[in-house]
Amino acid sequence: MRSRVIELVVNDEPQEFLAPPGTTLLIALRESLGLTAVKRGCAQGTCGACTCLLDGEAVMSCLVPVETVDGAEVHTLEGMAGPDGELDELQAAFLEGFATQCGFCTSGMIMAARVLLAEQPDPSREDVVRAISGNVCRCTGYESIINAILDAAERRRATGAISYTEKGA
Amino acid sequence: MLPTVEIPESLGEAVGTLGDGDLVLAGGTELVPRVTTRATGVSRLVSLRRAGLAGIEVNGGRAVVGAATTLAQLGRDERLAVLRPVVESIASPTIRNLATVGGNLFVRQPYGDLAVALLALDAEVSVEGSGGNASRPIAGVLEDGVAPRELVSRVAFDVPDPGAWFYTKAMRRRQNSASIVTVAAAVLVEDGRVASARIALGGAGARPVRAVSAEAALTGNPLDRRHVEEAADAAVEDASPFDDAYASAWYRRRVLPVHVRRALLRESDRPEGSR
Repeated sequence: MRSRVIELVVNDEPQEFLAPPGTTLLIALRESLGLTAVKRGCAQGTCGACTCLLDGEAVMSCLVPVETVDGAEVHTLEGMAGPDGELDELQAAFLEGFATQCGFCTSGMIMAARVLLAEQPDPSREDVVRAISGNVCRCTGYESIINAILDAAERRRATGAISYTEKGA
Repeated sequence: MLPTVEIPESLGEAVGTLGDGDLVLAGGTELVPRVTTRATGVSRLVSLRRAGLAGIEVNGGRAVVGAATTLAQLGRDERLAVLRPVVESIASPTIRNLATVGGNLFVRQPYGDLAVALLALDAEVSVEGSGGNASRPIAGVLEDGVAPRELVSRVAFDVPDPGAWFYTKAMRRRQNSASIVTVAAAVLVEDGRVASARIALGGAGARPVRAVSAEAALTGNPLDRRHVEEAADAAVEDASPFDDAYASAWYRRRVLPVHVRRALLRESDRPEGSR
């Protein structure tokens, strides 16, 4: 039962930490790296509150034993804002569109939406629904969340802004 | 106690690493919650993530899919576009980015819709053990699993012609919901009559099952409403539905013929004009 040294590139910065057996990516991000935007909701892959990007793909970090992804590239909500703290279009659209209620699902929603907008800059409402279908909002604020994602897509198209540099972008 | 995770770098190493009592970890969407949220007695997992088992080859209409291929990878492959409705009926994009083709063979119903489809395609499953590689019919693997210290490396099947492939999944919601009833069928019509039919059902037992009575009712007959309805009614004889949080066994039995019919006649479950 030896701990292992794990290396990850998190939000473009190399990180190294010690992980005991059975540590999930979720727990590693929260407890070893202090990145608490990934939330522990159900811990069984149902709620999506722990969604982050693993090598460019949105996954639920509670389902990933961190030892199996040693060397991977991870992006969390903490890496979304610009260097001076200016909000990304998705964050701004969520904030201004009242798409955060209790806020617990928000970072997972934004991470799932981030991949969608990178792949489909002009998504349909149905595309948005599909993209966040693994993310549960128990305030049931889905309509405003869907509207915010569509709004963010429009903002990005209007400015030509691309803030996404991962694989597949 | 949380299990340790071994991360072999090749198939051979994976087989050599697997000990009695170890479990194979593929995408982890089912296994990881099981071992992290309760005591299981499992002390070691063998991860396939780096074992080189992801990838899809299609040659001459035959697809060979590595066991660690994710459902998302399968769904993106243009050569397997005919299976996209199956993939997209399973869970959410975030789960499909982890969940694997091989793993889908080992989940219990009401999950495992891809396994239902692969049963209808009569897929061949490559099983690796210390004694080497063996190819087994998927029906047996679904029924009995594999032995301790064995693992599935690949799944092979003939890519169906879109005209000969039928699939429907009844869910509580349009997205991300387990199966009430899943129907997958490969039906070949020649000279106006069904020459061969393989129909597989999900939600109709702990594991996917073939609807052999329905297949018999169809074979030799035209694929028309009357014969499809007879086959759909016959399918109930092949099913042993169960109660769960999604539906009762009674309900599953009641709606099974409806969904067999809708699958084979390609009827939409959405009334005209609805969204």
